[in-house]
Amino acid sequence: MTAAKIIVNEIKGYHRFVKFLIVLVSLGALASLARFVFGLGVTTNLNDTFPWGLWISFDVVTAVPLAAGAFTLGAIVHCFHIKKLEPLVRPAIVTGFLGYSLVCVGLLLDLGQPQRCWHTMVYWNPHSPMFEVSMCIAAYTTVLFLEFLSPVCEKFGYHVPLRLLRTIEMPLVVAAASISTLHQSSLGTFFLIAVDKLHSLWYNPLLPLLFWLSAMCAGISIIIVEATMSHKYMGQPDESELLETLAKILPWVITVYLTVKVFSLVALTQGPLFNRPGLLVLFAVEVVCGVLLPLVMLMNGNVRENNRLRATAAWLVIAGVILNRFNVSMFGMEAPGTFYYPSFLESVVTIGIIAAHILFFVLIAKYFPIFEHHPETVDYTIPDHFHKTEKGHAHGAAKA
Amino acid sequence: MSSENQDFNKSKAFLIDMTKCTGCRGCQVACKQWNQLGAEKTEFFTGEGYQNPPLMSEYTFTRIKFRDYEKNGQNEFAFYKEMCMHCNEPACASVCPVGAFKKTKEGPVTYDAERCIGCRFCMVACPFGVPKYEWSKALPLVRKCTGCYSRVKEGLKPACATTCVSAITYGNREEMIKEANKRIAARPEKYLKKLYGSEEAGGTSVIYLTALPFDELGFKPVTKRPLPSYTWQALRLVPGIFLTVGSSLSLLSWFNHRKERIAKEEEQRKSGATPKEES
Repeated sequence: MTAAKIIVNEIKGYHRFVKFLIVLVSLGALASLARFVFGLGVTTNLNDTFPWGLWISFDVVTAVPLAAGAFTLGAIVHCFHIKKLEPLVRPAIVTGFLGYSLVCVGLLLDLGQPQRCWHTMVYWNPHSPMFEVSMCIAAYTTVLFLEFLSPVCEKFGYHVPLRLLRTIEMPLVVAAASISTLHQSSLGTFFLIAVDKLHSLWYNPLLPLLFWLSAMCAGISIIIVEATMSHKYMGQPDESELLETLAKILPWVITVYLTVKVFSLVALTQGPLFNRPGLLVLFAVEVVCGVLLPLVMLMNGNVRENNRLRATAAWLVIAGVILNRFNVSMFGMEAPGTFYYPSFLESVVTIGIIAAHILFFVLIAKYFPIFEHHPETVDYTIPDHFHKTEKGHAHGAAKA
Repeated sequence: MSSENQDFNKSKAFLIDMTKCTGCRGCQVACKQWNQLGAEKTEFFTGEGYQNPPLMSEYTFTRIKFRDYEKNGQNEFAFYKEMCMHCNEPACASVCPVGAFKKTKEGPVTYDAERCIGCRFCMVACPFGVPKYEWSKALPLVRKCTGCYSRVKEGLKPACATTCVSAITYGNREEMIKEANKRIAARPEKYLKKLYGSEEAGGTSVIYLTALPFDELGFKPVTKRPLPSYTWQALRLVPGIFLTVGSSLSLLSWFNHRKERIAKEEEQRKSGATPKEES
């Protein structure tokens, strides 16, 4: 049997849903090809009034916080040392790595001159939030790739790189959290320049801080949703006990987010808030359904213990963050009387990107040890060079 | 970005007196000729009024906007020359990730097409809606008024200012503002007692004199603060935040790991097992 035949047979064995995803991804790839053949103007609904559309609003501004689970959980588990959550880290890293890789794809499609993307690395402009975000995304995608290499090396039994990866694991976790803090917030800085464009319901100087906090909310929620779904549909181990712990952390983050949001709205906002009824409705839906409702739900112990309700609350948080990013980057930026909606091709590409994310996640989980990771067998302790206790014990402990 | 301590008084600026504009659109034609911009197929009244082309675009860097109004029972036209304002501290230059825009010491804000990656952040950032995109192309670039930098550099006036017989004066910014104030003082009944561009977006290299209120002519209401300062107040914190988050997380994890290790050793000591046997 040739290699091609083996692959075809393997694909034939997939579930119908996976095959459907493959079709969606192929359609998306075709549509993105059309963008390069026919140009941005013809294939998208973008124009000089709406220079940024669905691809920036969803594929970049929304997808980045949705991929925030990896850095949030990494920091919770390794820095704040809540070790029992460790089994959730690998799926989160895979999600993050896929998410960021696809952000890069989306960004390249949207750029007018994608072949020049390396220019950001050469012609530095530290005054540009876009420069900062692109540097961070490049750095963080590399970090996620290195973190993702662990299961790959395990799969193929490469022991030497595995040991190396384990040595740099902690620095990677710290780097991930610091880099993510920067670019998650800098995505908010993007819109600080839109002084007289972004509506004052969302425009305030704390926008970067709000983006960072809501990204963490989205990241934690994505982990909850993902673990619940992969248990339900993919027969992966049940992590409800761990998710309960996460669901206990989540309302704290949401509370901080809500506090900053209310403070910035009351104290720092300039300009009218109630002059655009449509935007007011969007804002109300975002805050009530995406922040207040899940917060109230998650403060209730019964909700946190119930798999279904917990996932519902997490979904609400995710929906709230998605709506927030669209409000800031799309709806709130539109001048009164103007309206943008994505073209058919734009939508097909974005659907293809979402499908690609799910597809690759399912395939990676199928072929690599993502969920079967046993952290208790691994010693993550850092060698202690400043050790003051007895020498013999110290060396022994480090080796153990 | 522009150099920090640039003296904008000495840089060149346009003084555009809209009350002297006759709407001949010679400036539009001169601009197209000098910049070798393609023609646009247009129809009358596809835009807001008489103006043609209806909007600035990749082919049109400047245009005269027409506004009809009634004066003493008669229909009159008022005009507004739309073009790049060549801000003293341009938003486009601050947001461009590759620094393709540059405020030159002569005044014009230039654009380097060789650097541009086509992200369109300049279009989002510009408070005047000036940068336009080559939507027709597969690999598009940004287009905008260059302030005829190639001419100004050699001591010539910009194409539109050369062509215009009445409304456009070109010279040092300081002198242009002085001249504008002089005209207002000389004919107070004729002019609106405000300049557009002296303070807008932190000051621009295009100063307008009008008879009608700015908003009626289609001038955009713009903040007086230089736009780059809005993002810089957040971006300047970046190195500090990076170091703070990085170091505090490193410290935190070091303490937590140390605590765990000591606890483990205590346990081993209590159980009396020698570590070597374990490993």
